Amino acid sequence: MRAGATLTSAVGLYAELRRQGYNFFVGVPCSGLKAFINDLAADKEFPFIPAPREDVALAMAAGAAMAGRKPLVYLQSSGLGHLVNPITSLLKPYGISVHLLISLRTQPFEHFEMHRVARPLLELLQYDDFTLVEERACDA
Amino acid sequence: MRRLEAIRELAAGWTDELVVATTGMISRELYVVRDRPENFYMCGSMGCALGIGLGVALARPERKVVVLDGDGAALMGLGSLALARYLRLPNLEHIILDNGTYASTGDQPTCSAAVNFEDVGFNVRVLRVEPGNEPGTPRIPYPPTEMRARFEAAARLSRAEARDRSA
Repeated sequence: MRAGATLTSAVGLYAELRRQGYNFFVGVPCSGLKAFINDLAADKEFPFIPAPREDVALAMAAGAAMAGRKPLVYLQSSGLGHLVNPITSLLKPYGISVHLLISLRTQPFEHFEMHRVARPLLELLQYDDFTLVEERACDA
Repeated sequence: MRRLEAIRELAAGWTDELVVATTGMISRELYVVRDRPENFYMCGSMGCALGIGLGVALARPERKVVVLDGDGAALMGLGSLALARYLRLPNLEHIILDNGTYASTGDQPTCSAAVNFEDVGFNVRVLRVEPGNEPGTPRIPYPPTEMRARFEAAARLSRAEARDRSA
């Protein structure tokens, strides 16, 4: 996955990430990532982990990374704020790598402000290990 | 019991356990009583200790993992206790040192008296300890990347290798 890329669909993404060696997946769902999450849930090699919040998912991924896995955290942009603390005080100072797969929601109204600030926020955090998925048909 | 003494007793019993210690004085007191490469000292990301421990325990099912938490941090990450109960990982123990305060920041009260942590999390052991901090407890001198690197190396050992190393 090219760092900072924006995709328009999550179809086929899970298989591609497995080919790239990702082997620990945890996150909070988004309808824009439905295809990816369905493929993940169908893969019996890994337990499906229903994280209660994005920071818990990122902490788990950080632990798995230190224990030798190549982790990915998926979330919708509404949850990006929950990652500011673990990115700034855990991932960056300790030098732990976790790829973020972020569904960039544009609507309804409660998503608009985060859609505006998501990429600038990641730039401000100097966190470039992410992929954005911007699926227009995203409905929940 | 003083928190330092509780940590000393716990740490004396560890052999090859991978230990994730929460941020603040709990990590610093663990460093004082028994520094070892199997200890991951969190500095920051309060509330994330159990999450990190769950990730390590899932990735390394043959290794025993201990999360050394405080009541304030456990309350901050309470959702992760529910996830731990859902996952029921047999190789993870969650110890909560409960003094009813945010001791590291000066003993401001927490709401831990309202919660029975054992009923929320999994393999939870709550130890009641006195509020307050030990005077003169040093900061952990290692750069964070070094703390991470040595924990990583310890976490990747097989159980047999880890036992040999700690014997």
